[in-house]
This record gives sequence, structure tokens and C-alpha cells, in this order.
Amino acid sequence: MTLSNVKTDSEPAQESSRPKPAEQRSGPWSALLGSSALRSTTFYVACAVIALALIFALLTSGNFLSTPNLQSIGRNSAGLMLLAVGLAFVLGAGHIDLSVGSTLVLASVVSAKVTVALSGSGGAGWAITIGAICGVLTGAGMGLLNGVLVTRLRINSFVVTLGTMGVGIGLAQVITNGSNVIGLPTVIQRNFGVANWFSIPLPLLLALVVSLIGAGVLTQTAFGRHTLATGSSETGSRRAGVKVDRTTIGVFLMAGTAAGLAGFLDITRFGTTAISGHETTMLQALSAVIIGGTSLFGGRASVLGAMIATFISTVLLAGFVMIGVSSFYQRIAIGVVLIIAVWVDRVRQARANTT
Amino acid sequence: MIATDETPLLRARGLKKSFGHLEALREGNLIVNRREVVAIVGDNGAGKSTFISCIAGAIKPDAGEVFLNGNPLELGSIHAAMRAGIATVYQDLAMAPDLSVAENIFLSTEIRRRGIAGRLGLIDHKAMRARASALMDELGITTLGDVTATAGSLSGGQRQVVAVARAVSRAGELIILDEPTAALGAKQSQIVLDTIHAMRERGFGVVLISHDLPRVLDIADRIVVMRFGRVVAEVAPKGQTVRHIVSLMLGEQSAAEESAGS
Repeated sequence: MTLSNVKTDSEPAQESSRPKPAEQRSGPWSALLGSSALRSTTFYVACAVIALALIFALLTSGNFLSTPNLQSIGRNSAGLMLLAVGLAFVLGAGHIDLSVGSTLVLASVVSAKVTVALSGSGGAGWAITIGAICGVLTGAGMGLLNGVLVTRLRINSFVVTLGTMGVGIGLAQVITNGSNVIGLPTVIQRNFGVANWFSIPLPLLLALVVSLIGAGVLTQTAFGRHTLATGSSETGSRRAGVKVDRTTIGVFLMAGTAAGLAGFLDITRFGTTAISGHETTMLQALSAVIIGGTSLFGGRASVLGAMIATFISTVLLAGFVMIGVSSFYQRIAIGVVLIIAVWVDRVRQARANTT
Repeated sequence: MIATDETPLLRARGLKKSFGHLEALREGNLIVNRREVVAIVGDNGAGKSTFISCIAGAIKPDAGEVFLNGNPLELGSIHAAMRAGIATVYQDLAMAPDLSVAENIFLSTEIRRRGIAGRLGLIDHKAMRARASALMDELGITTLGDVTATAGSLSGGQRQVVAVARAVSRAGELIILDEPTAALGAKQSQIVLDTIHAMRERGFGVVLISHDLPRVLDIADRIVVMRFGRVVAEVAPKGQTVRHIVSLMLGEQSAAEESAGS
């Protein structure tokens, strides 16, 4: 028997000469970006957004870069950004949440109904605050439901959230009988929805703060590592001691909560709900997440990339409107951008793996 | 039960596990003492991996008990086993390919930052990288370029070495290794075997599953032979030949000889 002696050396000598990954830069900004690959994806996406803005600026002789227009883009981006950040976590953990758009609508309806009901009996500010909390809690509840169904019943998240997507929008229609909630106090728009803080729209500011916290959670906390570990290898993570089910419920809870907050932002924007106005919102957010460098198969996610990529669709829409191209083309453009982004990413990954 | 010098480190008794109609583990009995390397050998499908998975908490056995230092271990809980001081290197290595080597080594045992940041759950990437590098140096692992490389970018052998390093860094009492040298070249195999020796010298109990019988004869203090989900023989490696172990694994011995061996 020569079992050990005939063993060939499967480790060629060149493995020690494998190139080391890019140097670890320090500082809070690069820390939020995560791995070097994601860092460059975020960089490319940021360049794409700036390039688009400059092209539209040229085509509109600078009008595109006017403060009101940029503020409008910012307000359009706020809710989408929140959805994208939540989805980045869900995708990073190897799952998907198709229900975030429906959750947004349901939360906006709950938020609006509560605000309207309470604003008769007291100050509007009080009513709006309670309405906002109820909206966020509604989102959290939907997220928790998704997480529990996925982990306890062991049903694929695509199927679970396809179901709750219908439940969410259906509930919104049942509550309102299909007609949008009106009669919200006007201060909800004046003091928040269309208000600015040093020229920055308040809803965008809120979304930015929440999203940056999300970026910190993903890159700097144990929960963030466990999210990506779960998406990378569920069995492996479980055996390494990661509480996979708790992590999975956590990401769905976050996505739902973010969608709930986005639902509240939605009613502050127009002073009413938009029950039938969000059929493609989830797909827009999903596109942004993937363009931003998050893998659809889990293990790799970039909150910052998702945040910046949300501007691609809002810049395209605003630009097309200004140069007189039908906004229908925006959808076509985003579809093309999505496919190109994933293709470019795949080429870069393949190149990185062969060097 | 109070742990005495005679209390074995690990005692597994009557472990059974079926998957549907397949009785993967019919009778799992094992004793491991401190400073002892116990090898489990057997043909493919003999139930070795199921057996150690039951001890490690990755699989909940249908019946049986496990005691560590005389204290009953909660079965079917990886966390209970980890808390009790059992660390395991699984055949699939339990790695997250998208995370770095350092992150994998500290997966679920991340080092928190000091003060309020740590309370908020923030982890200390720098300390994790430093400690992971130090661990590699300590074990004499020099083929690994960088602990910030993702586990997925490593060769099979490198990943295996990282998995062993992680188990070593976590083990409190007992380390279980399922085919730790299967994917390794000569040099890395030697690192793992040296590590096993070192663990024994430090007072750990080691359970080793391996098909590499010459190495098993070389390193183990005791060899447990499994066949068809049962422990069928237990032999001391001294004076044993690979041929005899193989015949035990395949059941070519007479029943009398087997019981004499156990």
C-alpha cells in the first residue's frame, strides 16, 4: 500500500506568487465601500451618473443642472434609494424581495389613513408623526412576515414575496376601496415633502442618512458579514456558527422597514397616495441594486453602489422629459443599462479571476 | 457527573441517524481522551461523516447521547457544541467564498471594536486581519499570500488549511477533522499533521476522519473502524498493517477476530 507516497503535489509552486489584492486603504469613506471590486463598481456607476447629467446639461444648454431640477431628481430618488438599500441586503443574503413596491403602497395607505383620521382631532404635526410611525411599522410587519415565511416554512423567497406582493397591494386596495387617500394636511408637503435643508430636499436627506447607516451596517457590523456569508454559502455559514435564520429574517425586516419609510415619503411628496403609481418601482429599485454591483446570487452587495445607481433612472427620466423625449424611453434605457452593467461586471469578474 | 481524571473528554453513546429509509448511522459509540488522536476509518458510506456531524451538532441524531467532560451535550445544536469547546473542520469546509480569509476565520466569532462602537455591533476589521495573519504564521502557513483575499479565490488546498486554522483557533477541548488532508499536497498535508500533533501536545482531543491509512497509522493513538453505520472494531495502530485495517473496513475478517480487536 502506497496511498500516501503516490500522492502528487496538487499545489504548484506559483501559488505564493499570486498577486495580492489592491492595497487596503483606510478612512471611513473607503470602509463603507467594502471590497476593492465593489469599490470600482461604485466608481464606474458614479461616473455613469455624472456623464449622463453632463450629456443632458449639454443638450439643455445647462438647464438640466439648475437647482430646482436637481432638487426634483433628488426628491424622485429618495424612496427608490430606500428600497434599493433594503434590497441590497436581501440580495446579499441570497434572497429576493419582490414585495417591496407593494409594501411601499400599503405603508403609504396606512400612513395616509392614520394621518387623515388623527389630523381632525389635534395638531397636524402630531397626526403626521403617528402616521409616519404606522407606515414604517406596516413595512416592518410585511418584512417580518416575509422573513418568517422564508425561514420557518422553508419556501423560496421568490415565491413567498411573489405572494406577499399580491397581498400587500391587495390590502392597500381593500383599505381604500381602490381610490387614493385625500385630505392629508398640506403641511406634510410644505414642511417636509417639498421642503429643503440648505437646498437639499428633506426626503432625500432622510434617505441619504438611512442609506449611509445601511452601508455602515453592511460593511462594518457582524450582521453585515453574516448577511454576505449567508448569501455566499448558507450551509457553510450555518456550520461556521452563523445564525442564518435570524440573519435572513433580519434582512427581510430591513427591506420591509425601508419600504415602509419610502411609503411615508411618497405621501409627503404629492400630499396623497399613489396606489397604482408603483407597478414598476420594485423593478427600478432591483435594477439599481444590480447595476450598483450587488450579486443576484448573494454573497456580494454594495449599498453605496445601489444608492448611486438609483440616480441613473431618475436622471434619465428627468433628462428625457427636458429634451422632449417621451418618458416611455426611460424604461427602455434602464433595461439596456441593466443588461450592459451586468455584462460589464461579469467580464470584469472573469478577468479578475484569471489573473 | 463530576469530571475526574478517568472521565473521558468525549463519550458518545448509541448515536443513531436515519435519512428516510437509509440508516446512515446505526450505532455510534466513541470515547476520546485528552491528549489523544482518534482516527475514524471506514469505506465510503460507512457513516463516518454522519457520526461526527452528530457530535459536532450539525445533525441531530435520532437517538443516543454525547458527554463532554461528563456533562451531557445538547444535541443538534452547532452553537452548543461550539460553546462546549468542540471545533469541526467539515469536508465541505464551511467557508463563505465571497468573504475574505480573515472574515471566514472569524465568521460568527467576529472581533468587536472597543467601547460604544463595539456595543453597536461594529467589528474591528484591522484586528481580525492582524490576528488571522498571526494565526497563519503560528501554524507555519506561508503559502497563503494575504488574509484579505476571498476564500473563493484560494486553491482547494489553501482553503483546507484555512479551515483547519479556523478550527484550531476556536477549539476549546476537542477538534474534529473530516478528511483534512484530502485535497492537500505534501507540504500542506505536513502542516495539518504537525498541527494535529501540536494540538495533542497542548492537551486537546482530536478526532480525525481519513482515507489516508498510512498517515492514520502514523498519527493516530487509536483507530476506530466503521462499517454499515456501526463501529465494528477499535485497534491500536502499533503493529497494524494497512492491509489488516482495510480488511476490517471491508468486513473480510471473521467475527471472532473483530471482537478480539475491539
